[in-house]
Amino acid sequence: MPTVEYKGKTYEVDEDGFLQDPEKWDKDFAYYVKEEEGISELNEEHWKVINYLQDYYKKNGIAPMVRIMTKVTGFKLKHIYELFPSGPGKGACKMAGLAKPTGCV
Amino acid sequence: MTEPAEEIQAQETPEQDDRPVDLKKIQSILSSNSGARMRSWLDICARCGLCADSCFFYLANDKDPKLSPAYKVKSTVGEMYKRKGRVDRKFLREAYEVLWGQCTMCRRCSMFCPFGIDMAAMIGVGRAVCTSQGILPAGLAKAVENIRETGNQMAVSQEDWLETCEWMAEEYGEEIAGLTIPVDKKGVKYMFTVNPREPAFYPQDVGMMAQILHVAEESWTVPSTGWDSTNLAMFAANKEMAAYPVKLMYDKALELGVEQILVTECGHAYRSAAFEGPYFLGLPGGKPPLPVKHSVQLFWEYIVRDGRIKIDPEKKVTVPVTVQDPCNQSRSAGLSQMLRELSQALCADFRDMNPNREFNHCCGGGGGFIPMGAEFKKRRMISGKIKAEQIKATGAKIIIVPCHNCFDQITDLNKEYELGLKVVSFKELICESMIIPEKFIPKEEDEEPASQPGDDGGEE
Repeated sequence: MPTVEYKGKTYEVDEDGFLQDPEKWDKDFAYYVKEEEGISELNEEHWKVINYLQDYYKKNGIAPMVRIMTKVTGFKLKHIYELFPSGPGKGACKMAGLAKPTGCV
Repeated sequence: MTEPAEEIQAQETPEQDDRPVDLKKIQSILSSNSGARMRSWLDICARCGLCADSCFFYLANDKDPKLSPAYKVKSTVGEMYKRKGRVDRKFLREAYEVLWGQCTMCRRCSMFCPFGIDMAAMIGVGRAVCTSQGILPAGLAKAVENIRETGNQMAVSQEDWLETCEWMAEEYGEEIAGLTIPVDKKGVKYMFTVNPREPAFYPQDVGMMAQILHVAEESWTVPSTGWDSTNLAMFAANKEMAAYPVKLMYDKALELGVEQILVTECGHAYRSAAFEGPYFLGLPGGKPPLPVKHSVQLFWEYIVRDGRIKIDPEKKVTVPVTVQDPCNQSRSAGLSQMLRELSQALCADFRDMNPNREFNHCCGGGGGFIPMGAEFKKRRMISGKIKAEQIKATGAKIIIVPCHNCFDQITDLNKEYELGLKVVSFKELICESMIIPEKFIPKEEDEEPASQPGDDGGEE
């Protein structure tokens, strides 16, 4: 199992870099992905998306569709991309510690 | 159509490896899938080795002879036939590694085989045998389950699909006046079908497509059902489930009385909708009930052939650009000339890869590799070296990739091999450079009154 190390902590990830066990998520993992993604700073808007994704995932066991994410957060699609340049799936979901979605993604 | 019967048992774990196989089922697959043809192909293969150098797995892995297509076929499907189907789970587990992990069914080897043996078809039979015993990549097994339950590979609900269309019509309508995304409109020319990743994670793809169709003043609709033209059950070689989404799509198109089915910028969706689908459904003549068109064909007609969409010469891309030939478009469907003419219409400095067109290499993400899941990522990156080198040699700064699996693979290669590329679809370039006729340019005053209610400042 591949692992990544950040601030003295070790996280098990899959080969795509998604956290193996969403339960093991903590804020430092988000900061780790932030650096990987080349995002300069995590602001309130990032956290709003991350928190929402985690809530949804806990309730439903899958990542929400982007439509639902934008509706709840009130952010436009383009703004989601400004926040997470790799997009809602590979950027936001990864940072929030969700498993990689199934299918052609 | 009613839900298809449950067929595949749950994904097995290695501890269950001693369970007996269903010999009857295996034998029926071996004899039913053009068994005679498979046997004669196995017989006539002269072990000449010409296929070896055609295969990017072989080339990228120090020319390991075990990765030559002939060996991969012989050691898996060949053995299945030789043993008349009497194989155990251990054998199937090992075959799994080859059938899914060492072949993307890109068919490049068949271009070099003096006998024209269709290696991909044979790999497909091997996959069908494994799948029939519950041995298949977890990512595909899950997608097949989603198809069974919801009719699409990502379990997107009808409500979410339609709401996403409505939302995209709103957001993308801000740039193009009068833009709509019609749903279930009868008697139109095109029923536009997508890859579920579009509504789920890349809704901008739907928005951009709507812009292009609107500017072309096309007669089109999206369907409320049968909108997923992809087919991951095809890569799982589960014929019964592969028939299901195709049937939903054909049925809906016939019900709406559209002229043609339009397929998004995806490779395998086109292969399924235009070529394989009729066989999954056992349609006489092997033809779909109505014509199927790929987005690339439509864009080519709009821009190159008819001038229905005009490209602003000022906005033509000036940096070097190359194009990826998705196997299911160039090698298997003859669209390679259109890919080039379209690229040249959009870009001033188009550079071809070498080799190219029907001889181009697979991106390394085809045949289900991307949706098969993380388990396969590492080898995807290793065998993608050939593609990375091809791209690098062109000196391109932008690569146009009209297929979702190629898109994801090349995006990953871009990172892995530090290619410094921008990876785009055709629709993205078209939307950036097409001339918007005056009547479709939104009037300024429309936007004014909306500033009050939606204004959300600091939430904390």
